[in-house]
Amino acid sequence: MIPDIQPMKPWICLSAGILITLLVSVIRTESKRPAQISALLTLAASAVFGFSGISAESQVLMSGAFEVSSLTLVSLSAMCGLAAMFILGTGHYLSREKIHISDYYHLLLILVLGASVLVASRNLVVTFIALEVMSLPAYTLAGFRRNDSRSNEAALKYFILGGAMGAVFLLGSSFIFGATGSLDISEVFSQSGAGSAGSLLLYLGHLLVMVSFLFKVAAAPLHFWKPDVYEGSPTPVSGLMATIITSAAFISLLRLIHLVDFSPASAGAYLDLVRSTIRVAAMGSLLIGSMIMITQRNLKRMLAYSSITHTGYLLLGVLGSFDPKMEITSVLVYLLGYAAMSTGVFVLLSLSKAPSDSGTELIDLTGLVKRAPFLTFLWSVFLFSMAGMPFTVGFFTKYLVFMASLGGGETGLVIVAALCTVIGAYAYVRPIALMTMRDAAPGATDWEPTIGSQIVAVTAAGFVLLLGIIPNAMIQYLKGIPLIH
Amino acid sequence: MEISDSLSFLLTLPLFAMVLSLFVPKGVQRVYSIFASLLFLGLTIYEASGILFASSSEVAGRLAVEHQLVWLPQLGARLALRLDSVSVWFVVLNALTAVIAFSTKGIWYRKNPKLFTAMGFFLIFGLNAAFLSLDLVVFYLAYESVFIPMIFMVGVWGEKQKATAVFRFFLMSFLGSILMLVSIFYLLSKQFKTGIGYSSYLPDLIPTAGGLQGTEALLVFFGFFLAFAIKVPLVPFHAWLKDVYTLAPFPATIWMSAILSKLGVFGMIRFVGPLFPGVMLSVQGVLLTLAAVSVVYAALLAYRSNDPKSLLAYSSISHLGFVMLGVFTLKQSGGASAILLSVGHALVSGILFFLLSKIAERKDGIDLTNPQGLASKYPILFTALFVAVLASVSLPGTLNFAGEFLVLLNAYPVSALCTAIAGMGAVLGAAYMLKFFQQMGFGAPSPESDSAVAKSEDLGGYELILVFVLLITVIFCGFQTAIFLKGN
Repeated sequence: MIPDIQPMKPWICLSAGILITLLVSVIRTESKRPAQISALLTLAASAVFGFSGISAESQVLMSGAFEVSSLTLVSLSAMCGLAAMFILGTGHYLSREKIHISDYYHLLLILVLGASVLVASRNLVVTFIALEVMSLPAYTLAGFRRNDSRSNEAALKYFILGGAMGAVFLLGSSFIFGATGSLDISEVFSQSGAGSAGSLLLYLGHLLVMVSFLFKVAAAPLHFWKPDVYEGSPTPVSGLMATIITSAAFISLLRLIHLVDFSPASAGAYLDLVRSTIRVAAMGSLLIGSMIMITQRNLKRMLAYSSITHTGYLLLGVLGSFDPKMEITSVLVYLLGYAAMSTGVFVLLSLSKAPSDSGTELIDLTGLVKRAPFLTFLWSVFLFSMAGMPFTVGFFTKYLVFMASLGGGETGLVIVAALCTVIGAYAYVRPIALMTMRDAAPGATDWEPTIGSQIVAVTAAGFVLLLGIIPNAMIQYLKGIPLIH
Repeated sequence: MEISDSLSFLLTLPLFAMVLSLFVPKGVQRVYSIFASLLFLGLTIYEASGILFASSSEVAGRLAVEHQLVWLPQLGARLALRLDSVSVWFVVLNALTAVIAFSTKGIWYRKNPKLFTAMGFFLIFGLNAAFLSLDLVVFYLAYESVFIPMIFMVGVWGEKQKATAVFRFFLMSFLGSILMLVSIFYLLSKQFKTGIGYSSYLPDLIPTAGGLQGTEALLVFFGFFLAFAIKVPLVPFHAWLKDVYTLAPFPATIWMSAILSKLGVFGMIRFVGPLFPGVMLSVQGVLLTLAAVSVVYAALLAYRSNDPKSLLAYSSISHLGFVMLGVFTLKQSGGASAILLSVGHALVSGILFFLLSKIAERKDGIDLTNPQGLASKYPILFTALFVAVLASVSLPGTLNFAGEFLVLLNAYPVSALCTAIAGMGAVLGAAYMLKFFQQMGFGAPSPESDSAVAKSEDLGGYELILVFVLLITVIFCGFQTAIFLKGN
C-alpha cells in the first residue's frame, strides 16, 4: 500500500528543489544566477505549501516516524523564510569574498531540509539522519572561504566536534533501544511511563541524547566551539547557524527532553537530575556568555557569545516546560524573536567592505551615524532588541521565558538571568555608543548598504518593532501549538 | 488597541509631535518644540484643572479618571491609565519641564536638531505613560523606555568623557529596574498559583503582595525599592549622578533633575506604598535614616563642589532626600507634603539649571573657586537667579519652604533624630547656595574674562517672561499650599 504522502508536500517540494538547483548549477556553471533563482523559488514554494497546510489536526506518517503538525509546518515555513532572507540579503558578501558559486545554494537548501526534517522527526534514527543532513552542509559552508585559514579552522573544528557529538547521540539512542526495545519517540515515551520506568539504562541513554543536543545549541560547558566557528565562517553562514540551526536544534531538544515520561513516581529523582543539568547549563551559558561578551572586540565573536547567552535564556523557557501541560510557548516566541534580530544583525554585519571579515571589529563601527545614519538606526533597533529594551521583541521574549521559568519555581536562576541581562546590556549598548558618540577612528571600515540587504534588514527591523509593540497575535498563535499530540 | 478617551491625548500628542518634528526644517526646530510643548502644557493643565484645583480630597477623588484598554491579554497586562490627585502633579510637571528644557539654547539645536526634538517628545511620552499607568508591566515598559532618549541626549550632545558617564548611568539604572521586573514577575507567578490567572493591574496584585511573608516579602520589596532608590537617588546609590548631570547637555540635566528623579518618588508613592505597607513599616527606621543621610551627605558634597553644575546636582540629591523623608513617614499627610516638595523642587531646579545654561551661553568654564562678578553685567538674569536661589534654600513664602516645613513637621513624630539630621541639611543648603550665588555674581572679575563677556546681552524677551512666570508660580503656590494638601 502506498502511504499517503500528501501532507508531506512541503518537504518533498524542498527535496525536488534541491535536485533541480543542483542540475541547474551543473548545466550553467558560469553563472550563479539560475541556481539563486531556483533556490528562492524552491523556498517560496515550500513555504507556501507549508503555510497552506497548517491546520489544527496533526498527522503522524511513515510508520510513526514523521510528524506533520502546526509545529513542524510553522517551523518549516519560518526556516524557508529565513533562508530566503539570507539569500536576498547577503549575495553581495559572497561576491566580494569571491565565493559566490552555485554550490552555495543547494548546500543551503540541504541545510534547510535537514533542519525541517529534524523538527518533524518522531524517531531517533530519523532524528540522527536529519541531524547529519543539516550538519554536513553546515560544515562545508563554514569552510567556504577556503583560502582563509580561520574558515578552514572553523570547518574542521565544527566537523570533528559535531561528529563526536553525533556519536554520543547514537550511543544514547542505542541505550534507549536497549531499555525500551524501540526507537519511536511515542513508544519510548509510553514505555518509560510504564514498563521501563526507573530503568537506569533508559535514563543514561536519555541523558546522552540530551547532552548531544545541548552541544548543538552551544549550552555551557559545551559552548567552546561556537566563537571560533562563528568568527571563521562566512558571515551569512554564521547567521544561518544562529537562526535556522539553533531553532531546529532547540525544538528537537524540547522533544528529546520529553522523550521520557516524568510522571511516574520512580522518575522523580531522575527529573530532578534533568532539571539540575539544564539549570547548570542555563546558568553557565548566561554567566559565561555575558561576561566574556563584554570583553570581545570582534563583532562576530561578540555575537557568538551573545548567542550563548540567548541559549541560556532559552533554557530558562525549557525549564518552564516541565509542568504537566508541557508549555513551550515561551521557547517558540523566543526562537522567532531571536531569529528576526539575528537575521538583521548578521545581514548588517555582512555589509562591512573589508575583505576576509577583517572589518568586523567594534572599532569599525565608530562614527557610523555620520557615515550611514540609516544603518545606525537599524543596528540600534537590533542591538536594543538583543538587550531586551521595551518596544522591541527582545523585551517580550525575555518576559515570557522569565515568567515560564518562575512558574517552574526557578527564582534563583531568574535573578541570575536578570543580572546577566544588565551585564549583556553593556555589551549591546557599547556598539551603539561607538556609532553615535565617537568620530570615525582612522582606518575604520566603510559599510556599503546594498538594496537587497536593506530590504531584508528593514523587514527584520519591522518584525522586531511590530512584535515589540503588539505581540498579542504572535503569542496567541504560538500558544496554540502543542509539543506532543 | 484603540484609544478613544480624554486621557489618550497625553500619550498620543507627544508621539504625534515626535513624528512631526522629523518634518520640521532644522532652523525652526527650537521654535517648533517650544510652541508644541507650550500647547501641550496648556492642554494638560486644562485636562487636569478639575483635580488640580479641587477643594478637597473627596472632590479630587470623584474627579479621578481611569481608562482601561486591553493590550496584552495573554500576559495579563493592560493599558490602565489613571489621572488622580497623585499622578496629576507629575503629569503637569512633565509638560512644564519640557517647556523649560526646550527653551534652552545650544549645540543640540545645531547638531542633529531633529533627533533632539524627537527624543525630547519621546521622553515626554515615556514619562506620561509611566505616571499614568496603573499596570505594573506597562509601568515597567514606560519606565525603561525613558532610558533610550536619555542615552542619546547625553551621548550625542554631552561633553567629553560622556561615554563612561552614560554607561554608569545606564547600567546602574538598568540593574535596579531589571530587579524590579523580577519582583513583578515573582508577584505574577505567585498570583498565578492562586488560580486567578495573570493580571499585573495594581489593585489585583495588592492581595498577592500582602500574602508574602518574612524574607520573601523583604526581597520582593527590595527589588522595587532598589530601582526607585537608584532613580531618585538616595545616598548609597547616587554614584552615577554627578558625572551624568555635569556632562549632559543642559536640557537633559533639566529633565533628569526636575522630572526623571520624580519617577522614583512617584514609584515609591504609587506602587511600593500600597504593595508593601507591612514591609515598609518594619524597615521604616532604615528608610528614614537613608533619607536623612542623603540630605546631609549630599549637602556636604555640594558645599565642596567648585563646578556650578555639580553643585546643583548634589543640591538636587539633598532636596530629594527631604522628599523621600516625607514619603517614608508612611502617612497620608507625609506623602502629600512630599508631592508638594517634589513640585517645588522640580520648578526650582528647572529654573536654576535653565538660568545656569543662560550664564553658560555668556561665559564658558565658570569655576566657583574664583569670584566671577557677573551680576553687574547681567542684572536681570542675576535678579532672577537670586529669587531662585532663595526659593532653593526654602525662604518662607516659597513653595519649597512650605514643602520642607511640612515634611519635617510630619517626620518629627515618627523619628525626631532623623528630623533633626535633615534639618541640619537645610542649614547647609543655605551655606552652599549662597556660596554659589556669591562667587558667580559678585567679587572682582579678572580682566580677560571681562572682555569676553562684554558683548553679550542680558536676559530678555521670551526667556525673561518664562522665568518670571515660573518664579511667580513658585511664590504663588507657596501661599496656596491648600491645593496640594486638599485637607490632608
